[in-house]
Amino acid sequence: MAETTMKININNFKRIDVMQGEKQVSSEDDVVFSTVLGSCIAACLYDPIAKIGGMNHFLLAEPSGSDHDPNSLKRYGVYAMEVLINAMLAKGAHRNRLRARLYGGATMRSGFGDIGIKNAEFARRFLQDEHILLNAEDIGGTTARRVDFCPALGLARCRHVENQRPVERLEVVPDKAGDVTFF
Amino acid sequence: MAQTIMTVDDSPSMRMLLRAALGKMGYTIIEAEDGIDAMEKLSNNRPDLLITDINMPRMDGFGLIENVRQDDSWRNMPILVLTTETSDEKKQRARIAGATGWIVKPFSPDKLAAAIRRVLH
Repeated sequence: MAETTMKININNFKRIDVMQGEKQVSSEDDVVFSTVLGSCIAACLYDPIAKIGGMNHFLLAEPSGSDHDPNSLKRYGVYAMEVLINAMLAKGAHRNRLRARLYGGATMRSGFGDIGIKNAEFARRFLQDEHILLNAEDIGGTTARRVDFCPALGLARCRHVENQRPVERLEVVPDKAGDVTFF
Repeated sequence: MAQTIMTVDDSPSMRMLLRAALGKMGYTIIEAEDGIDAMEKLSNNRPDLLITDINMPRMDGFGLIENVRQDDSWRNMPILVLTTETSDEKKQRARIAGATGWIVKPFSPDKLAAAIRRVLH
């Protein structure tokens, strides 16, 4: 699928960077979400009726089964997708109206276990399982990408960048993931 | 006989993840996709435990817990909330509605198993 060309000037927009493991959701007209991807995936979701958009940025496809650390589990797509969808629903989006764009999933270095390919396969399968329509994608290959997404418009621009190295590592922030409380 | 767990989540991916984890632990699984679907399925099933998400269309997790607890025959069934939500206010709401426990996603199968063993007798 070809990437979409953005026909609006986003230079005056408020730019919000979406780092690995983060997500952003907005319905503001003058906001643009921006991220740089290697083997990571950014999913951009959009509800065209509510005019709400969101972007996430995740490192890995699915837990292997031996990964039990809650903070580590946050790197995975299945968690990142749920957090993004929940944040959009909380703002008034409807699950059955969501449209998706997928970016990233490049093979950044050989012998890296084809993380990018697995990520891309996961993201496509997730959207299929969740019955979310895939509107556009630019995934795979061997170059990093810079993605800009206007959440209120649902428009995106994806540029391949040869000289930019995406930061792909886990920020371990102690938090409440995996917490169990009994009442 | 294998104990039965009803899982309630609007995300097919999350239901699949739970099915894989709970199936490995040997439980029989009944799935529902929101609170309304769960209430309908509870009318002809007797699960030993309910695991529910909070954010769902039609009837959310809070509504489901309140409805289940209104029925005396379900008074003793443990209910675990499994959610990405972490706020104390929401936890308290679930506790008051009658939830047995609260687990923050993402979950590791080991922690989930331990929580289940603690509430299932």
